[in-house]
Amino acid sequence: MDVSKFIDAEKGLIKGEIFHSQEIYEEELEQVFARSWCFLAHDSMIPEPGDFMQNYIGEDPVLVVRQEDGSVKAFLNQCRHRGMRLCRADLGNAKNFMCSFHGWNYGIDGELINAPHSDQIYESLDPDVFRATQVRLANYKGFIFGTWDKTVADFEEYLGDFAWYFDAYVDRFEGGMEVVGVHKWVLPANWKFNAEQPSSDMYHGEVSHGSAFQVMVPLSAEGAPPPWAMEQLGKLSQPAGYQFTAPNGHGTGWFNGGMPLMDETILKWHQSTETEVSARLGADRFAIAGHANIFPTFMMLSNYTFRVTHPRGPDEMEIWAWSMAPKNAAAEVKEAIRLDLLRTFSPAGMFEQDDAVNWEEEQRIMRGHMARKKPLVYQQMLGRARYDADGLPGKTVPHVYAEEAARGMYQHYADLMSGKPWPDLEKLKKAREQRERAELAAAASPAPKAASGGSQ
Amino acid sequence: MNKPDKVTHLFKRPEHLAPVNVTMETAYEIEQFLYAEAELLDAWEFNDWLALMAADVHYWAPVRENRMAREAEQEMYPPGTAAHFDENLQMLGQRVARLYTHMSWSESPASRTRHLISNVRAHTTDKADEFQVQSSFHVYRTSSERHQDSVVGRRFDLLRRADNAYGFQIADRTVVFDMSMLLVKNLSSFY
Repeated sequence: MDVSKFIDAEKGLIKGEIFHSQEIYEEELEQVFARSWCFLAHDSMIPEPGDFMQNYIGEDPVLVVRQEDGSVKAFLNQCRHRGMRLCRADLGNAKNFMCSFHGWNYGIDGELINAPHSDQIYESLDPDVFRATQVRLANYKGFIFGTWDKTVADFEEYLGDFAWYFDAYVDRFEGGMEVVGVHKWVLPANWKFNAEQPSSDMYHGEVSHGSAFQVMVPLSAEGAPPPWAMEQLGKLSQPAGYQFTAPNGHGTGWFNGGMPLMDETILKWHQSTETEVSARLGADRFAIAGHANIFPTFMMLSNYTFRVTHPRGPDEMEIWAWSMAPKNAAAEVKEAIRLDLLRTFSPAGMFEQDDAVNWEEEQRIMRGHMARKKPLVYQQMLGRARYDADGLPGKTVPHVYAEEAARGMYQHYADLMSGKPWPDLEKLKKAREQRERAELAAAASPAPKAASGGSQ
Repeated sequence: MNKPDKVTHLFKRPEHLAPVNVTMETAYEIEQFLYAEAELLDAWEFNDWLALMAADVHYWAPVRENRMAREAEQEMYPPGTAAHFDENLQMLGQRVARLYTHMSWSESPASRTRHLISNVRAHTTDKADEFQVQSSFHVYRTSSERHQDSVVGRRFDLLRRADNAYGFQIADRTVVFDMSMLLVKNLSSFY
């Protein structure tokens, strides 16, 4: 499908039709979700053989199962016979999966073990026909991603330069991450709102979440915020930082020095980890975590929420948000992280509640003709992108309030929606980057301009 | 992952399933207290509502997930893991203060809620002035032009007699929502 009439990523103009149209939505399931790497599980969610959880790739339910040999397999949670959902639990431990319709029984690897009376009614149970549809998997530092597509690049290549930034969320500590719990809820809005925001919209925080900052800031006995809290709030009043965009639509952004933290326990612990994290990742990566999204919908914040947004029609999404914690952190730190997360970024969270209303109203208004006719403006930091600048790999802009990553995300979205095969898309993206790099080099050569804005 | 603990299946605890053993007068006082509490919430008198909480209150709402029949007792996340609320008095105070900033966009403009409380059952405890009280709630909410939703569940309270206008304080509350995946955009009220 050609969505280029709705998306002009170079000019930063995007029409609301892509959030509203049922026809576009149906195409997204095939061209976007079925052709991308989607988050399925973390190792700590299914530690023991037989442990399983259900997740989704788009609207397709997938069972992710720990095998006897410690490996992981994933397959469509659908019986090959009549398409019934094989397993109706969200998670658990199983020795096999029996379809409750006619009793077809599948192993935890998705192979059909038995169909009742099969010797009398089938010629054979050819595994190629009868096995549950398998997902191609990748495990990146404990995070398991899956795709139906055999032609999309391997996961690390798919991440590209974003891998360097991803590590600042998931590879900070020896021992890695572990899951603490999950929240799942439904929002009446298009899934792309919750892909675009963690990629590219730090700008909304000051107003959308102003009330939460107001009440969470601690006050001293004199009724004023202590100096450390004023310093944290200063990140909002004098914003500085960066945003990164990847050719495959991933994006991230961060305040210099990291996200504003209102919890003293977490802040002090965070500061105490600088030596360890710097030794592991390099000093330049200690504070670059803020918010991020791996296209299409695996988002994360530096407070250790990791979540997928599942599309449920053009006007509905499900958010599945796991709270995680550094496995080797002290118990009181993990508890502070858990409480902070559920009180800020969960359906009852003081930040999260307000995002819901923005998206609900944004979606509702897209029903209108004029609301979709005139393009929305995505022009923050337009024309300010550089490659490999300030020690940051790939394409960045030197401000935390920017829409470079949204433009990049929608460019990639339009590329995928065109239906062109992955090898062609890779050529297209390579050529685009070469052209941009050449243009930047040509513009820079007569009068080199020092980078500004990003550094404090 | 922290495996949910069997003893947390609140609906199956013998002390909750036991026949009611308080006097008719006490039952009446407890019911009227819960109705008054609901009225304060629906009237947006959140500071008065907060004043009903004991200084040592714990307000907790565990997350539930869908489990196979043989693992049904693990459907609720145990304390210290996934929860919608896990609050002490100071934390509840932050949530109340937020509602009055006029920038809490989920409730500004305010939604209209109706807290319907029913199926109230009370039991005595070791302490003469404390009661275990279960009640069901149906919180119907409308907001904006056309938004409406419902949140239904059951509460497990420890109520303590108190020298206040309504006669009790809430010393402990566990809220169990009937939904596993929440089919609402947010939980912007108190339950």
